[in-house]
Amino acid sequence: MRQGFRQSMAWLHAWSGLLVGWVLFAVFVTGTASFYRSEISQWMRPELVATETDPGRAAERGAAYLQRQMPDAMGWFIELPTPEKPAIAVMWWKSMEGPFHQALLDPETGEPTSARATKGGDFLYRFHYELSMPPMLGRWIVGACTLVMLVALVSGIVTHRRIFADFFTFRRDRSTQRGWLDAHNVAGVLGLPFHLMIAYTGLTLLATLYMPWGVRTAYKGDEIRYFVEAGLMPDLRWAAGKPGTLTPLGPVVAASVARGGKAPEGLSVWNPGDANATVVAIFEEPHGLSHHHPQIAFDGQTGAVLGQAGAVGAATGTGTVMAGLHMGHFAGPALRVLFFLCGLMGAATVATGLVLWAVARAPKGAAPAGFGLRLVRALNLGTIAGLPAGVAAYFLANRLLPVGLSERASWEIGAFFAIWGLVALVGALRPGPRAWSQALGLVGALFLSVPPVAALTTGLNLPGGALRFLGFDLMMLALGLGFVVAARKAAARVGAPLRRPARDLTGEEALRA
Amino acid sequence: MLASSAHVVRFPFRRPRAACRGLRALTGRTAPTPAYRAAVLGRILLAALGGYAVAALATGLLALVLPMPRSEAVTTATLTSFAVMVAVVVAVFAARSLARATALVLGLALPLAGGLWLAGAFTG
Amino acid sequence: MTPLVVALNIALCFAGFAALALSLDRHHRDALAGRVPAGRALPMRAAGWALLALSLATAIAWEGWNFGPVQWIGALTGAGLLVVLVLSYRPVWLRPAALLALPLGLALLPAILLA
Repeated sequence: MRQGFRQSMAWLHAWSGLLVGWVLFAVFVTGTASFYRSEISQWMRPELVATETDPGRAAERGAAYLQRQMPDAMGWFIELPTPEKPAIAVMWWKSMEGPFHQALLDPETGEPTSARATKGGDFLYRFHYELSMPPMLGRWIVGACTLVMLVALVSGIVTHRRIFADFFTFRRDRSTQRGWLDAHNVAGVLGLPFHLMIAYTGLTLLATLYMPWGVRTAYKGDEIRYFVEAGLMPDLRWAAGKPGTLTPLGPVVAASVARGGKAPEGLSVWNPGDANATVVAIFEEPHGLSHHHPQIAFDGQTGAVLGQAGAVGAATGTGTVMAGLHMGHFAGPALRVLFFLCGLMGAATVATGLVLWAVARAPKGAAPAGFGLRLVRALNLGTIAGLPAGVAAYFLANRLLPVGLSERASWEIGAFFAIWGLVALVGALRPGPRAWSQALGLVGALFLSVPPVAALTTGLNLPGGALRFLGFDLMMLALGLGFVVAARKAAARVGAPLRRPARDLTGEEALRA
Repeated sequence: MLASSAHVVRFPFRRPRAACRGLRALTGRTAPTPAYRAAVLGRILLAALGGYAVAALATGLLALVLPMPRSEAVTTATLTSFAVMVAVVVAVFAARSLARATALVLGLALPLAGGLWLAGAFTG
Repeated sequence: MTPLVVALNIALCFAGFAALALSLDRHHRDALAGRVPAGRALPMRAAGWALLALSLATAIAWEGWNFGPVQWIGALTGAGLLVVLVLSYRPVWLRPAALLALPLGLALLPAILLA
């Protein structure tokens, strides 16, 4: 019976992991990059340099721009400039279903910035949970895959009989399959606390989307009421249907500073053209693990304080800490490196698992591979090499596309998908022993070419000094070298006899070893 | 359990082993029988739909009955729901037969639905 | 401060994991030749777990109960990865590296205390 349980868990681990592996790899890679979302955005908008702007004046400039765009909006959002993002980011929308328009304004003039149009790090961040699909569809797909990932983690722990004995074991010089299995186990087990945490907190971040039934029974589906009662947002007012005049936002920012101790990160304005307009000042998260932005609501006509997002209870506090752990905003530079490393290990766990699935099922001798196996191999190469190639292409496109190009931001994203698709397509059409080393070598070359391309295009007259993006350049070089090493390893594997040939494991042994 | 030449982990579902062996002797590979495919499909559907149903019912019920402020009860129920679903999915695949797995899911879902009915969630 | 504490955490975890790895025959054979001498395994394991616990204690002492454990788990993962890489590519370096990590970690203490 016990044997049967372990065996069914091995089956569950292998197939559930395969089913969601390709999506999870993409989610892990783009999510890991998102730990440096703000740094990526800075690199992708090299024209923006830090300026000192009064937050009150920036808010008024943002409001003036929005007043021209959509005075009768349902909502505006004005993100105030920071040293990391020295621009006013504005968003406006007519309904919660969208579309959500956005623009980036120069803090000095309040007009759209002359910096190159790009989605920056936000594209990778959004892709991480929406996959560039219609938002709800993408979120549900990522959520389902994340749940299956939790199932795969649990069944993987059960399957992996000797976690402690094999804790440090990586026998890369034995059989191919043993090496992949050990790599999968090491990356999975060493990163296990992170993997469990990131999967579970990823689900809880969108908990009321995936599991709305508690809100449905206890609040009759009124999600806003729930958020207000939980202390996550201040009470908002419905539109009165009568026109009103919005109060100047400068004094609102000043009042926020007086009440909240510092300038807010941003202001959201609900029903700006209505007599019941409400302005909500949203503050940076206080120091701590929790992801919970304090908020103060003001009357949009008089500027009087309406209320604030109150203290949260123990359960809601746990939820905000879970969200905080997932995003890692609290992490200083050193801890962020460790988070980044853990994210890479998550991607490595998925990638080695996918490769192991195919290696364990490779036919012996000259027997031809079946369609299923060929499909898995093609998808493996297309994802594991294709996606990083796409990321590198996204960065390269940012420097190579003309600054004045119309729809420029979309072209950058087009480059991401085009190179990803191209690598996947070539890998699928020309499978063979050299496909992996060639594809990984291409990825390495793409990443290695980012710093020189940046230096030749923008680097020489970069505002803020030529070494402003040294960290980004070093990261590109490290990634590029990593892929080159991987390509050389893949090339060495082709046809080379193993130093200590050992009997290949069967798939079942591989999963249970 | 399986012969050492088998490269594919099969779900340990009772299947006509002799037929499989014969096939393997012919082709060098095993081919899943229709009955095997149907059983695996049944488990997948039961795990996905049954697992979500149990988690959803548990969330709805706990949000109503947990002895804490309404918002806290909803948060607690919602945050734990994913662990519930993972547990049900693992249990469905660990069960010895599809019938047992079905009984398990129904045995969890029906009392939860009954509790929700008693708590008045269905009456509006 | 925090980067230094992270470095200290990693050093302690590295030494602890190295002790745990060297208490296993498989890794002892690669790193030091031969099986683990009789009666050596238990003290090495005790030392290994004690170092991991010490790392957690230092993380909590300097970073508090909320950040400390998070940082410690990050350090565990980083140090574990280092041990695996050393064992895989340069197994004979493991013991010297662990013996070096301890004084290096302790050398960080004055900097942490002064900061």
